[in-house]
Amino acid sequence: MSKIEINHLTVDYTEKKKSFTALKDVSFSIEEGEFVSVIGSSGCGKSTLLSILEGINTPTDGEILINGEKIRGTGTDRGVVFQHYSLFPWMTARKNVAFGIKQVNHSASRSERYKIADEFLDKVGLEQFKNKYPSQLSGGMQQRVAIARALAMDTDILLMDEPFGAIDAKNRTILQELLLELWENATPRKTVVFVTHDIDEAILLSDKIVMMTANPGRVYRELKVPFDRPRNRSELVQTKEYNKFRNNLLSLFYSDIADKIGGEEVVL
Amino acid sequence: MNIPAGTIPTAKADKKIKINSELKTEFFRRYFRVVHGLFAVLILIQFLPDQLQTETYIFYVIWFAVGVEILTLILSAVIKKTASLNLFTDIVGFIYGLLIAWTLATAKFNLLKAALFPPPGKVFRQFINDYDKILVNIQSSVGIILQGYLLALIIAIPLGLFLGWNARLGSSATYISKFLGAIPPIVYIPYGIALLPTFKSVSVFVIFLATFWPVLSGTMSGVMNVEKKTIDSAKVLNVGKFTMLFSVILPASLQQIFIGCNQGLTVSFVLLTSAEMIGAQSGLGYYIKNYSDFGDYTRTIVGLIVVGIVIVIISFIFNSIQKYLLRWKQ
Ligand SMILES: Nc1ncnc2c1ncn2[C@@H]1O[C@H](COP(=O)(O)OP(=O)(O)O)[C@@H](O)[C@H]1O
Ligand SMILES: [Mg+2]
Repeated sequence: MSKIEINHLTVDYTEKKKSFTALKDVSFSIEEGEFVSVIGSSGCGKSTLLSILEGINTPTDGEILINGEKIRGTGTDRGVVFQHYSLFPWMTARKNVAFGIKQVNHSASRSERYKIADEFLDKVGLEQFKNKYPSQLSGGMQQRVAIARALAMDTDILLMDEPFGAIDAKNRTILQELLLELWENATPRKTVVFVTHDIDEAILLSDKIVMMTANPGRVYRELKVPFDRPRNRSELVQTKEYNKFRNNLLSLFYSDIADKIGGEEVVL
Repeated sequence: MNIPAGTIPTAKADKKIKINSELKTEFFRRYFRVVHGLFAVLILIQFLPDQLQTETYIFYVIWFAVGVEILTLILSAVIKKTASLNLFTDIVGFIYGLLIAWTLATAKFNLLKAALFPPPGKVFRQFINDYDKILVNIQSSVGIILQGYLLALIIAIPLGLFLGWNARLGSSATYISKFLGAIPPIVYIPYGIALLPTFKSVSVFVIFLATFWPVLSGTMSGVMNVEKKTIDSAKVLNVGKFTMLFSVILPASLQQIFIGCNQGLTVSFVLLTSAEMIGAQSGLGYYIKNYSDFGDYTRTIVGLIVVGIVIVIISFIFNSIQKYLLRWKQ
């Protein structure tokens, strides 16, 4: 049994009596401890897919199973990092993390929660900023806090929707490496669903890449990423295999677009 | 090598002089202000010959001014931020200026009708003599406001959170609150008088209403305007309903709640002092009305000043609380 099974998921949005199919018959599965990236051009339904996984949205048809059970709404088995920094502006970094911990661990006392929070803020390199409010932190720092919170909640599953999408290139690289390191070194490894439109990011981080295509949103290809872990970006990008894999991925990406322009249905 | 060795001491000495002169200008900027000149003028004019037949009690003005001056000097040493110090000395300067004009227009040149405009010394003296009475009246007014106001907050904020949250989910509670809130609270007074036994309870009731509607609608519109992403962030943390309302929605709508609270406070003051002038046996409005009825304008002015001071203090406390609770906003 897979950790997460997505079965024939269809999502229609209705706006002003007009219906729009954002996802159509999306099916794939994710193993326990697997890092899966979902890539695809903007508007192909990645966020929609994740919102169903998060439980803040319900599908029109189909279902998602976690540990064999159909999900109904949000759950403490899933930690989430959004692209928009999802911190509460009225809480300090430490309080934000501690608040997350409190929701999954009701029995921990305040000082225990703060202790865990400090530990994870330390891990993301923000121990000096724990008493700062989000408005006093840069975007990259806020996203570190959000990651610290998701990790501190110690959920089985992590859902991330373009978490580094709004961060400048240099900080994005740093955060990718931080996430890779934290995820690779954790035992047991968490199951991660990571949305991105950055191909290099997807290859560096994932075990599997799910490519989606738009109008309506569907799965276009699933690819295993054949590189050993622990991974090191600077070594990896120099290898022939990496470039071959990357070019293959790019050509798939463009053939999808070419297919669309040609007006022909893609055979899956 | 000789040249730099020779220049270094000179440079050092230059620097020292510069620091010294900087310190001096800083000292001047702090302690040599227009406000102290006004103080001197105020004191000096007290010794001009009086034009009034009655006693003008100049020493009450002098003691008051000396007290304020000492406070100003202490604060000049203590307050670090120039902007805050400027604000403070501006206020003090304004008070001195007012007292100068007042002294000249009354005691010294008798430009105004003496019965209607007592000299400042007389007012200060009356203030000290009536100290107990004034305190009792402050207590009465502030007590009524606090009761009505806090009661309104305790009910309106949770109710507003609840109604706003449900309105967000698609009910029409907003319109009800808009309609009821549009009725000016003063029209409830006759109904309140018929319904409630004492003037005090009617006052509390009216202030309750005056605060309740703006706070309720402020809270509701605050809740309606909380960004979806904030709510989604809370939802994915799997928060319970209570936590959602009080730990997420409440702080997220706080700014708009404060707008309602501020409005309620302003209206409450106006209503209470007016009501006290009409029908009360205590309170600041009563104090003013009662003595002006008897033609005691010294006490009327004392009452006006006290009302001003009380409002300034309450607004200050209110603003401090607001600033503290919204300290996370940039
Ligand atoms: N709440 C909504 N109502 C109507 N249409 C929506 C809504 N959310 C997303 N969509 C539409 O669904 C499509 C997929 O959106 P989304 O899942 O956000 O894509 P992605 O994250 O891949 O960019 C887009 O065309 C978008 O306009
Ligand atoms: Mg998206």
